[in-house]
Amino acid sequence: MGGKSVQVRRLVAATLLVALSALLVGCGAVDDPQNTFAAEGDVARKQRDLLLIWVLGPAAVILVVMQALLIYALIRFRRKKGRELPRQVHGNNRLEVAWTIAPAILLLIITVPTVVGIIELGRDASDDALKVNVTAQQFSWVFQYPDLVDAEGKPLLALNELHIPVDREIGVTLDSVDVIHSFWVPKLAGKLDAVPGRTNSMWFNATKVGTYSGQCAEFCGVSPEGAEGHWTMRLTVVAESEEDFEAWVADQLEGGGAARSRSGEPALASHGE
Amino acid sequence: MVGALRQLRGDAESYRGIWSWLTTVDHKRIGVMYGVSAFAFFLMGGVEALLLRMQLSSANSTVLDPDQYNRIFTMHGTTMIFLVVMPLSAAFFNLLIPLMIGARDVAFPRLNAFSFWVFLGGGLFMNASFFTGGNILQGELGAPDAGWFGYAPLSLQSAGTGMDFWAFGLLILGVASMASGFNFIVTIFNMRAPGMTLLRMPVFVWMTLITSFLIIFAMPIITVALFQLLFDRLYGANFFNFAAGGQPLLWQHMFWLFGHPEVYILILPAMGIVSEVLPTFSRKPLFGYQFVVLSGLAIAFMSWGVWAHHMLTTGLGPIANSAFAVSTILIAVPTGVKIFNWMGTLWGGSISLKTPMFFAVGFISMFVIGGLTGVMHSIVPSDYQQQDTYFVVAHLHQVLLGGAMFGLFAGIYYWFPKFTGRLLHEGWGQVHFWLMFIGFNVTFQPMMILGFLGMPRRIYSYSEGTGWDFWNMVATAGAFLIGLSILVFIFNVVLSLRRKEKAGPDPWDGRTLEWAIPSPPPAYNFAEIPTVRARDAFWHSKYVEDETGRPVPIVGGGAQETEEEEQAEGGGHGIHMPSPSFFPLIAATGLPIIATGLIYDAAIVAVGVAVLVVGIYGWALEPASE
Repeated sequence: MGGKSVQVRRLVAATLLVALSALLVGCGAVDDPQNTFAAEGDVARKQRDLLLIWVLGPAAVILVVMQALLIYALIRFRRKKGRELPRQVHGNNRLEVAWTIAPAILLLIITVPTVVGIIELGRDASDDALKVNVTAQQFSWVFQYPDLVDAEGKPLLALNELHIPVDREIGVTLDSVDVIHSFWVPKLAGKLDAVPGRTNSMWFNATKVGTYSGQCAEFCGVSPEGAEGHWTMRLTVVAESEEDFEAWVADQLEGGGAARSRSGEPALASHGE
Repeated sequence: MVGALRQLRGDAESYRGIWSWLTTVDHKRIGVMYGVSAFAFFLMGGVEALLLRMQLSSANSTVLDPDQYNRIFTMHGTTMIFLVVMPLSAAFFNLLIPLMIGARDVAFPRLNAFSFWVFLGGGLFMNASFFTGGNILQGELGAPDAGWFGYAPLSLQSAGTGMDFWAFGLLILGVASMASGFNFIVTIFNMRAPGMTLLRMPVFVWMTLITSFLIIFAMPIITVALFQLLFDRLYGANFFNFAAGGQPLLWQHMFWLFGHPEVYILILPAMGIVSEVLPTFSRKPLFGYQFVVLSGLAIAFMSWGVWAHHMLTTGLGPIANSAFAVSTILIAVPTGVKIFNWMGTLWGGSISLKTPMFFAVGFISMFVIGGLTGVMHSIVPSDYQQQDTYFVVAHLHQVLLGGAMFGLFAGIYYWFPKFTGRLLHEGWGQVHFWLMFIGFNVTFQPMMILGFLGMPRRIYSYSEGTGWDFWNMVATAGAFLIGLSILVFIFNVVLSLRRKEKAGPDPWDGRTLEWAIPSPPPAYNFAEIPTVRARDAFWHSKYVEDETGRPVPIVGGGAQETEEEEQAEGGGHGIHMPSPSFFPLIAATGLPIIATGLIYDAAIVAVGVAVLVVGIYGWALEPASE
């Protein structure tokens, strides 16, 4: 009998495990290319963990408690025939103070990691970071590596595909030549706007070799023919080993350095005025 | 001239049918017109939402083209905010404020009519832009296309006249809101019945007062911003045009300095409605009245200090982002106080679950989620991920549809019998509620997942392999459930208006003064202005409390039954009521004409100005009835 119950327990455990993993796969939890929870960079990880540790848990508890109380009250205090009218309670000052102070303290507690997080992520890129100047334009991204220059001193340019070495900090400056765009690679870092006439900066890294999908996150219109628009303004970050990255850089610099789209047209059709 | 006007006045007394509506200055009729027009716009905004959901239901879909998509989502947002939730709230202000404070009308009845006609003109003007893109039957739409938030420089770059219609439309609607804001402030301060002290006012009156103050302070900000935008677009000024040295972010600061108080302009009236519905159906006074009122005031003040949380990814820097994170986190405190007090109202009550109560409880349930997701946005580093994703779309609909619209529907079911004399059918009402409640959750909870899976807002399409197909399909199915629930509501209204049995003056055992008078109320509201001795004035005319605080019914207390002179327009009591007038409508007509002229041809401006001047002069010189 004892053996049988162990078997049953194992079966239940195995079923639960399969169900759970099926659910995870079903939600595509890990494979989805822009899943903000599948962080592969320090910035995205920090942003996710702040939410998971400090907010999502308490919020879920509060949500469940409040909805349960609501349902409980509706059932418990439902009007019944023959029941006399309820006492006319007008309030309770102690309760009022309690439910003002308690949430305030809870909320003030989460301001601490929030502000710490803002300052940590808001710092300048470190001096040894690889610098990339990103210029957004309707509807593509131009990446310029100011420190990687060819024989004539021209910096390396790339279009829509940003190659970076893994585990190295990337210092990004952001600018736009037309309307406001927003630079966003969900698995690596949250977004920052590219505002024309203004230079914003951020840093991020990738802690795992791979290809990361991103796209413009600020509505930026549609081309006159309707073929391109906000929804087509995608980018890819290719994080590779230091050697692979250097090989890619050397290859690009030999090829002339200027960013060319696949059709061979110069990428920056109209830069600036 | 005055003689001719006097002649007109004589005729005006005898307006019937449609003319009596065009000239009415009766706050109840104006309220009904606000409600019906806002509901018509709600249907338009809803159809727009369904078109958007059809386009997004699967990857690489082409139900709409990208240009149509951009115009429709811009109009969906603009419509739902400015042409639905605001005027629906205004409908309740109009219908209820004079009744709740024991007055015969608002302070400025003709200004009130003017507000309504300006609103209707502005709404029609805005939607007329759909026809300016060419042949609309071939899908060539001409509506605004830079989003309801109109971010510069995209809104400057936008070709055609769509964004001009948008900006002028909002300016016109701003006039309506300002006029009605002042009107209700003056009404509430000056027209209260004897004994109706500020702290005896129903909470809905308080929320109307607070909302009206928010309106008169917020509207001027967007007015300035819109004028700057129009100067940039039409006359080549450089306020926001970065290429000529303008500041694109200036627009965002102005827009959200208006835009965040606007969120509370949208939600506070619904909170007021819920604060009336819960006590009636729990047979208990509102728990912590002073705290509900004070938290409303606190929210209103704090709403001026949180605007940049819409701009956390624009690069304001760690100091500004920290400050706005803290202010945004703290605004959750007074919001929480309201929710706790609503729970306290239910607690120990005698709860009757009728349709208004379902919607009010649905409001609390959904608003809790809206509030919690709001706190999640204030965790700035994680907001860098959530900003401009479907997570935000989910959040804002929790607040504005699950919140404001559920609250407004609670109000519709609650006060429908007061103004039509007929109850809405209870069974169909509950069908409406459950369809809408389930549809709402099926539509918007998946959007939270989509946001976490990295789906940005306002994208026309997405490719396969993004992992977004499934949840988008679910959301679209939910949206059609909501659509179905609205059809049930319309059916219910039509059905209920034909019902024979009358609701009577006080079908819910109400607590506030509007239930003391016949349904529908006579033009003069109160045959005799009531004297108020306590909060929940009408309840206290029906019940006294024994020493344990339990109410005991008063024999012979309660509402007036219908009066003999009901149809006598106040004549039976010799009550002086304001006379009907054409001039508010004429003056209001001038504004869209002027705006059309400024977009197309200066000659039309002259016509519009002439109409406006005739309207205002006629209005000013119109003799009062004797």
